[in-house]
Amino acid sequence: MKEIKIKSINLNVFYGEKQALFDVNLSLNEKEVTALIGPSGCGKSTFIRCINRMNDVIDICKVTGTIEMDGFDINDKNLDVVSLRERVGMVFQKPNPFPKSIYDNISYGPKIHGKGESKSELDFIVEKSLRKAALWEEVKDRLDEPGTSLSGGQQQRLCIARAISVNPEVILMDEPCSALDPIATAKIEELIDELKETFTIVIVTHSMAQAVRVSQKTGFFHLGKLIEVGKTDKIFKNPDNKMTQDYITGRFG
Amino acid sequence: MTKDKRLAKRHRSEKIFKFYGLLSIFISLLFVLVLVNNIFSKGTSAFTKTVIETEVFYNQDLLDLEYGASKDEILDADFFDVTIESLLLIYPTNGLDEEKQLINLFSTDVEIEIKSKFLNNNDFIGKKVIIELTASDDIDQLHKGNYPRDLPEDRRRISDFQLKIFDKLVENGNIKKTFNNYFFTKGDSRDPELAGIGGALVGSFYSILICLLLSFPIAVLASIYLEEFAPKNRITDFIEININNLAAVPSIVYGLLALQILLSTIHLPRSTPLVAGITLALMTLPRIIIPCRASLKAVPPSIREGALAVGASKFQSVFHHVVPLALPGTLSGTIIGLAQALGETAPLILIGMVAFVVDIPSSPIDPSASLPVQVYLWSESAERGFVEKTSATIMILLSFLIVMNFLAVYLRQKFEKRWN
Repeated sequence: MKEIKIKSINLNVFYGEKQALFDVNLSLNEKEVTALIGPSGCGKSTFIRCINRMNDVIDICKVTGTIEMDGFDINDKNLDVVSLRERVGMVFQKPNPFPKSIYDNISYGPKIHGKGESKSELDFIVEKSLRKAALWEEVKDRLDEPGTSLSGGQQQRLCIARAISVNPEVILMDEPCSALDPIATAKIEELIDELKETFTIVIVTHSMAQAVRVSQKTGFFHLGKLIEVGKTDKIFKNPDNKMTQDYITGRFG
Repeated sequence: MTKDKRLAKRHRSEKIFKFYGLLSIFISLLFVLVLVNNIFSKGTSAFTKTVIETEVFYNQDLLDLEYGASKDEILDADFFDVTIESLLLIYPTNGLDEEKQLINLFSTDVEIEIKSKFLNNNDFIGKKVIIELTASDDIDQLHKGNYPRDLPEDRRRISDFQLKIFDKLVENGNIKKTFNNYFFTKGDSRDPELAGIGGALVGSFYSILICLLLSFPIAVLASIYLEEFAPKNRITDFIEININNLAAVPSIVYGLLALQILLSTIHLPRSTPLVAGITLALMTLPRIIIPCRASLKAVPPSIREGALAVGASKFQSVFHHVVPLALPGTLSGTIIGLAQALGETAPLILIGMVAFVVDIPSSPIDPSASLPVQVYLWSESAERGFVEKTSATIMILLSFLIVMNFLAVYLRQKFEKRWN
């Protein structure tokens, strides 16, 4: 049994009057991939955006309950959100490289955190991150071309490399393959499989097949509630809950 | 209705719409053409002036100057007699009245022209030199063909005697047109042949510079704060509405505000580019804030999120990513705002820029004219010389505006990122 990296306790999220999450208790294991599935608007993305406090950006968003990472509350007043995001990276639904060079895309994070003091250190971090994201061979000769000139799949791997560059402990992925074709998707999935050796990964996905392929643990959300969570094998072969059964067999959602 | 008929009807309505579109473009182009044609046909002649080649005798006795006289001595010397003596030689005159008519063929600055020529070449003393002297406005207009000659004498500004001299000068080839340097280097004057936009150009330049220095930083900081940092609540909504309202306030209201506060209360110097620049900056602020906010808003949120997700602070995400991307739109908005300010007349009239200023301002706190106000001033004058100068000033003003707008479009197209 792996150790618990992140644990949410009675997590409630409100957008203004509307409640988006109801008493979510979910724990994520270290160096494992946890998939979150569920129909649109069920709160999966809201949940992972709580882990790196991306919801802070939204004025009307209010979070109650706690999320603990390595036993510390991430909503603690003394915790700087910047250092939290240094430890918890994120990859978004649509590839969003900065409209700068490939090199600058990767080196930006280390630079602002003071991790690459010299040019050679930065070069090293850029190469390491791109290699980890399985993109190095494709872009090593054109690092000063804009990141936006890459193909969709390459852009998404660039974003993964950008997330890796600050050496986080956790990577959150919000439907990372929804804008990609099957071949690019296969590459990303392969990559996720390798990355879980180093990072704790949470992936939100609409593809049941993807959840089965990449994850060890799966949580099923419905209407803001965590309906069922367990080992991926069990959830897809023999779920306890009728609703989970209906969703994975495609009866709704 | 059959299917074919319906289809034909659809095609027809599309054709009619296209025709109306073309027609409206044609009409608007026609208006532009009429305007440009009107301005050019009146204004181009202002860029040349008429000069009369005259033999000037720098008579040592009349000047009372030694060889190698110093600059101060020359400046002190009286050139009046030399001038009159030389001018009278171009045509035989009979009596004081004819002499006066002859001298009136030349600009009122003729003595100064003769003196300044001598200042640059003080070895002219005792010599006869042929100098191109600026003609008076009446001769200038006659030479450019703007004055009819076939009217009876009492309805002409030029007498029969003057016409005779003129014809003689033309016959001998002593009268010709040259580039009108006075138009660009001199300030305003009561005499059209000596009036120029030099003062207005410098005045407008100082005003716009002050306007830019004040409005750009304030507008950009205000936009960034409102767009990126301010909480979205009633107060910011109220501010937003009022910025839009301010952009629509008639410019003369800003003039009244400046009159009351800058001139009457703070006692800043009247009719100066300093006050003009501050007034125009007030007017331009909302006009820069609006496009600046729009271009900040056009930066997709995913860029902000991307920066925040790697641990950038709010400040870093805004200044490292959002602001550089919004900069082309901001700059082009600023340039268009300044172009509007450059052409603004009403507020400047209220703060006293309509004053008759002959000197070219040497600093922003000297009284000064400005280009649009100069147009306004000259358009009220009846002399034909001012009519062409009005149009020529409009041409200069328009060419500045065209260059600025072109620059704005260029910046936007060249540097702006497109998001799909």
